[in-house]
Amino acid sequence: MGSVTDDEVIRKRLLIDGDGAGDDRRINLLLKTFTKWCNSPGTPEESFTQYQRMLGTLAQCEFSLGKTLMVYDMNLREMENYGTIYSNIEQNITSAHEKIAECKKEIQRAKRVRKNRQEYDALAKVIQNHPNRHETLKQLEALDKELQQLSNIKENVDAKLELRKKQFHVLLSTIQELQQTLENDEKLDTDENNQQSPSGSAE
Amino acid sequence: MGPVELLHMSVFSQSFSPCGRFLAAGNNYGEIAIFSLCAALSPDTSEAGRKPVLTFSAHDGPVFCLESFGGHLLSAGDGSVSAWNWAELIKKNVKAVWTRRPEYKASMEIPEINAMVINPRDNSVVFGGGDNNVHILDLEHGVFKSVFRGHTDYVHCLSVREREGEVLSGSEDGAVRIWDTRTSQCVHCVEVHKYQKCARPQFGKWISCLTTDSDWMLCGGGPSLSLWHLRSLTPTSVFALSGCQRRATFYQDMILAVGQGPTVSHCLLGGQVKAQIPCTPNNINSLELNTNSAEHQVLTVAGSSQFVDVFTNVSYRAFSLCF
Repeated sequence: MGSVTDDEVIRKRLLIDGDGAGDDRRINLLLKTFTKWCNSPGTPEESFTQYQRMLGTLAQCEFSLGKTLMVYDMNLREMENYGTIYSNIEQNITSAHEKIAECKKEIQRAKRVRKNRQEYDALAKVIQNHPNRHETLKQLEALDKELQQLSNIKENVDAKLELRKKQFHVLLSTIQELQQTLENDEKLDTDENNQQSPSGSAE
Repeated sequence: MGPVELLHMSVFSQSFSPCGRFLAAGNNYGEIAIFSLCAALSPDTSEAGRKPVLTFSAHDGPVFCLESFGGHLLSAGDGSVSAWNWAELIKKNVKAVWTRRPEYKASMEIPEINAMVINPRDNSVVFGGGDNNVHILDLEHGVFKSVFRGHTDYVHCLSVREREGEVLSGSEDGAVRIWDTRTSQCVHCVEVHKYQKCARPQFGKWISCLTTDSDWMLCGGGPSLSLWHLRSLTPTSVFALSGCQRRATFYQDMILAVGQGPTVSHCLLGGQVKAQIPCTPNNINSLELNTNSAEHQVLTVAGSSQFVDVFTNVSYRAFSLCF
């Protein structure tokens, strides 16, 4: 048991080398002063002062012990603190990743919307170049009416023309008939004359 | 490959693998190079990570088009189309799964294929090329099932309007034709250069850039890059970009356009040019976005240079892969 604890002790001593040097020395000094004080004959005032000095050294050692304990507690609490901060940051990272993915999807959506808007704009430009539909309809109606009127007029004129044609036809045919009748009458007259003269000469 | 060849190299086409971890690029020497995106994008990469893991000769002529579909890489350029299996290519086993050639009318030369696009709706591939026609290859049966005739000059670019099942083709004769895949008839024909606000007579009337997202169409080339509303067939916005555009694509709420000039232009649908990002090649032929993989979402740009620029964020060039 002695050798194991010795190794432990040596290792611990080497580890806490920096700060431990002062404390180690103090404890050794205290032990030496204690043994010297126990064995020294000296006057009561000297031994009393030495006793006080030893108490002081002891108090110093206790003080440094208390300090180290507090530092240890503080370190433990710091570790916990860092642990919570670490997990916090991890959570933030994952949520940021998710947000990035969301935003990427949003961008895609927005780009599609933008593309559609641009297509509408392009079409709208072309449509604007053509005249308004109402106006064109009105123009069409007006033209239709004109067309109707003109066709009415045409019908009337046609009817008149037909009538005139028929009347002229009647007139012309009557004239021709009259001519025929007159010619026939003339022919009859000349025939009668011819018949009379040969019969007259024959007598 | 000597330094002179490298200097004269142009990369015409790119395609990402179905897993999204590899990029295939085709150049004017008929080679296809496979780059590993994992190696190139990893933080501790070196120069070797930016080089191809495999380079092989695929065609006799330039590889103008590359597309990935159904685990295969389709490449076309000199009049025929070849299919390569991606899994085999990743294992560095170079062997074409099949090669087909559309039926061309008897002529002395074999016309090149300028554009190739997949129509996933009916599992077919649409080709447009030097013979002024658009050919459809049915992937299930491996036969060319229809031909759309109507253009009077060669076809530069194609696009598929998935919702309506229509194919759009832009050609040197300045017309964008919309074909119905089932009836093989030309449903609409738009002559872009006849519209005052799009036309740029100093450049010509050819259409080299065509893309659609079923409601809207972007087309450009000789005329300025313009956004069209397909249902009314009217141009709604014209983009004031100085060069002739070769590729454009809709990306989120913007339009990315590349062509003449060493820049990728970011434009808004209203017609404003928001930004012009500088790149390595002097003229850019191809622009691809990797939508197959979540962690390698990059934009790659290639053109008249042996470097393929990689953008991890569309606003700036991250690094370049080298052929």
